[in-house]
Amino acid sequence: MFSRWSWVACGFYLVLNICSPDASSGLVQSCGHIIPESPVLALGSNFTALCILNESCLDFGNIYASQIIWKIKNRLVPKEQYREINRTVSSVTFNDTSSLATPLTCNILADGQMEQNIYGITVTVGLAPEKPKNLSCIVHQVSRFTYVMTCTWDPGRHTFLDTQFKLRYSWPEEVFPDCIPKDVNNSCSITDIQFFVNTEIWVEATNALGKAESDRLVVDPIDIVKPLSPQNVSVTSGILPTVLQLTWENWISYAVMTLKFNIRYRIVGDTDWMEVPSEDTASPRTSFSVQGLRPYTKYIFSIRCMKEDGQGYWSDWSEEKIGTTIEDQPSKGPPIWRIIDTSHSPAFWTVHLIWKALKPFEANGVILQYEVTVRDKSSLSCPVKKYNVTSTNHTLQLPEGTYEVTLVARNSVGASPPSVLLIPASNSKAPVKNLRTLPKHDKLWVGWTAPNSYVLKYVIEWCLVSSSSDCIIEWQIAQGDVQGVDLKGIKPFKCYLITVYPLYADGQGSGQSVKAYLKQDRPSKGPTVQTKKVGKAEAVLTWNHLTVEEQNGFIRNYTILYKTIDGNETVVTVDPSKTEYTLSSLTSDTLYTVRMMASTDNGSSTGPDFTFTTQKFGKGEIEAIVVPVCLAFLLIVLLGVLFCFNKRDLIKKHIWPIVPDPSKSNIAQWSPQVPAKHNFNSKDQMYPEGSFTDVSVVEIEADDKKSFSEQDLKPFDLLKKEKSTSEGHSSGIGGSSCMSSPRQSVSDSDEGETTQNTSSTVQYSTVVLNGYRDQTPLQVFSRSESTQPLLDSEERSEDHSGGADSTAQRQQYFRQNGQDETNTDRPCFERTKQITHADEGDLVGFVQLQISGQSSQPLGLGMEKNTQEAALSSVLQTCTEGQTVRPGTVEENPLSVDEMPKSYLPQTVRQGGYMPQ
Amino acid sequence: TGVVPFVALLLLQRRPVAGRALLVTGSGCPGHGLCRSNVLEQTRRQVAVLNATAQELFSLYVSGAWGWPGVPSESDKLCNPAGIFFPAFRVNRTSERKEVMVAMYKLFAFLNTSLGNITRDQEELNPMAKELLERLHNTTKTTRGLISNLTCLLCKNYNIFQVDVRYGDSSKGKSAFKKKQQGCQVLRKYVQVIGQAARVLLPHLSPS
Repeated sequence: MFSRWSWVACGFYLVLNICSPDASSGLVQSCGHIIPESPVLALGSNFTALCILNESCLDFGNIYASQIIWKIKNRLVPKEQYREINRTVSSVTFNDTSSLATPLTCNILADGQMEQNIYGITVTVGLAPEKPKNLSCIVHQVSRFTYVMTCTWDPGRHTFLDTQFKLRYSWPEEVFPDCIPKDVNNSCSITDIQFFVNTEIWVEATNALGKAESDRLVVDPIDIVKPLSPQNVSVTSGILPTVLQLTWENWISYAVMTLKFNIRYRIVGDTDWMEVPSEDTASPRTSFSVQGLRPYTKYIFSIRCMKEDGQGYWSDWSEEKIGTTIEDQPSKGPPIWRIIDTSHSPAFWTVHLIWKALKPFEANGVILQYEVTVRDKSSLSCPVKKYNVTSTNHTLQLPEGTYEVTLVARNSVGASPPSVLLIPASNSKAPVKNLRTLPKHDKLWVGWTAPNSYVLKYVIEWCLVSSSSDCIIEWQIAQGDVQGVDLKGIKPFKCYLITVYPLYADGQGSGQSVKAYLKQDRPSKGPTVQTKKVGKAEAVLTWNHLTVEEQNGFIRNYTILYKTIDGNETVVTVDPSKTEYTLSSLTSDTLYTVRMMASTDNGSSTGPDFTFTTQKFGKGEIEAIVVPVCLAFLLIVLLGVLFCFNKRDLIKKHIWPIVPDPSKSNIAQWSPQVPAKHNFNSKDQMYPEGSFTDVSVVEIEADDKKSFSEQDLKPFDLLKKEKSTSEGHSSGIGGSSCMSSPRQSVSDSDEGETTQNTSSTVQYSTVVLNGYRDQTPLQVFSRSESTQPLLDSEERSEDHSGGADSTAQRQQYFRQNGQDETNTDRPCFERTKQITHADEGDLVGFVQLQISGQSSQPLGLGMEKNTQEAALSSVLQTCTEGQTVRPGTVEENPLSVDEMPKSYLPQTVRQGGYMPQ
Repeated sequence: TGVVPFVALLLLQRRPVAGRALLVTGSGCPGHGLCRSNVLEQTRRQVAVLNATAQELFSLYVSGAWGWPGVPSESDKLCNPAGIFFPAFRVNRTSERKEVMVAMYKLFAFLNTSLGNITRDQEELNPMAKELLERLHNTTKTTRGLISNLTCLLCKNYNIFQVDVRYGDSSKGKSAFKKKQQGCQVLRKYVQVIGQAARVLLPHLSPS
């Protein structure tokens, strides 16, 4: 408890001691201090600081050196570095000052916890200056009498301290004021310099950790002068056209320094300088005549100077001055060429003479005019024609022949040597061989092999090939001893047509041409491909050649790339001369994407995609299928028709078996109810109103057994197969073939065998006599050789029910053998008689030919089948055209069979007749 | 070391009456590292430079200090150096080199102080004459360098460490006209003597 209060008191004392003004100094009195105060330490050295506590603090607050802790900034110094020297002094030692930072503070730990700062010092760590190196000086002439010496040096490493550099210089007996650099530490300039005195120059670097001096440089400042460049340079032309004279002023006194010079010059427009040989200007001077210049040429001159003995520095180049040499006569004749136009008349030429303006160094002045002389070599009598031309071309109208054209250029001084061009009647001489080109940077080299004959000159023509404009010819002349020239001004990626003509002394060789590119690139676009024709497994592609502007190089090949949507791409390379290609082995009915790529030596470009779909069927496939089928069908039809025609009798027997005419049978004689006056052959007589009692007549020939069994039933089989069933009662024989009644049908059976069996075993006929419209019904006879109940009630009820809706209309067909021939061309329905089932008593006589146990179909279904039935009937009608139609009267009988009067006629099959029962 | 600094000479020359001063004393040559073989040639070039610029300096002074264009005829009277002190330069081409060197030292020591006085007076009287002042400064500096080189030569070649030197009359306290006249007289004499010195000393200063 006491200790705590003691530490509190101590802390209070410390605060009071720190904060209270000192009576004597007015400053804060501290409980201690650190030695040394604000030291400057060499980086990497060791350092020891002492913290000394005041005795007064010891007495009052029980503060001792053992309680001192050292801190660097806010970081505690490890206690291993502490040392308690006595009760008031604690030291701390740092083996490497690089770990030091500022401030370094001495603190005490009051009450074991409260940290109180006693004192702090600022520690500066740095390096001693290094010896400045590479001291060098230069004396700049800044005006005619003013010189400034600037010395530079390498200050060495960074010292982290304030380091002062001083440039010092002295004479043997005199040390001049130091030059103190401003804002820099590596250079200083001295204005007070004196030539011709050896001067010692050095640099001193000083900071808190030491001083260093550079090596001493002893130099006469006159030896390190960079003089001002010659002033007021002027250029004047002399008497000679190849000389210009330069004059200038030197701003260094001859007594001070003798100078040598460099003179450089270049033609205006050129970039390369030429220099006057240095030995020609190695002596002091203020003028110089530059020789060997081109006449009438603008030159730019510049001069520089330095100390004659070579010590010191070259001055800067003087300002550039331009001078022009005077004119001289042209040094050579203009190159001349011709273009002969014979399009109007082969015998009369239009000769375009063209020549190139002389280059400035050839013209040596302003060309005032050209003098053209034309001499007809084939006719000595013709006078020489002379023309004065100011342009560089001239057109002549000349008859075909050999001419010598002479061209002279003239300026104010004189005329050029003549240029001679021979225009022969024909270019029959040998051409150059092995014409070739080779790109060389921005020039296109054209080479050739000389002909065997001596060639005076070569003319090289070239023009830019264009698809939209004519070839504008450029040309140049090469001497006869060269075999290659560089064509300038050639644009890259452009096609040039180059032609070389050899010129002989006595004629001209024919031209050899070659196409060339200076530089090739990939085509600017690819060909646009499209299909010309598409088949099942092949497609014919077409495209147009790229224009020469689009090619950008020689097209080496075309590449066709095609693929299906999900397939791999197939690549086909095509010769560049082609514009069409047939893709084969394609898959039918497949979408293909095709594109085309044009390639040069430097790349390829692809055109747009094009899609097409191969056809599903190949050419002629449909025809190959359809035509044979049709032919086969027709053939079958034809065969069928022929068969039917040939077998019409047989068919007739089977389909329309001859039913004996009951009127002619004996039954008419023994039937007591049949009046003799009944004449079945005369229907009109019997039914004057078109209505008659239904009569079914079945003619059975006794000698044709099959007519009652198999052959008679075949048509029914056919009918069954054709599903020509309908409502109503089946006609069985005639009704089905002639569609005598669309509301009547044959009640056939799907079981043909049963039908056959039945028909073979059951032959019956029911002759029902019924009155029509309250007329007296006719006697009806039914015949059958069967003893079983023929018209069972079920079938009739079905027939009845199925034909219930059609009971209002009843049709009956009546055919007689005797009328067959006359009625064949009549439509069966003309003789259709409708019968209305008024009541049961109004019984319609019918003949029901029971083929099978199946009865008629319901009406609804029968109505739907009427159409088929009609079609079938027409076919059958066609097939049976010309044959006797034997109508079978089929009548639905709404009455029960049992209710109907029946009579059975025993059938004598073998005899083909009916026996009365 | 027995060597009187050159600065002291400058102070001495400001005395109103010309005096005598020790120039070089002591046994060692000062700045022996700088006293190289080219000093002789440097001295020759310095004399040549002074000779080449003396007339131009005089003309500038006459025109600048007096306001006369060119060198008027009146300047012959005003600038007649007959009545002023100027070190005797009684050497010729046949004189010994040592004697020539000593005479040169006396001459340029006098010139250095006199040019200093003239420059000071002109800075006061004619501060706008920049070119004149620049020429005066350059000439003065050249004479300083020449003295330095002669000291080197005398010490190194002849072990002469002390030379009696007489300076001219100080212009301090004189009227402006007198200052100008005195400067003109000194420069007029300087033009005459420097030419003679250059001619006489040339063979002696050439490398032997």
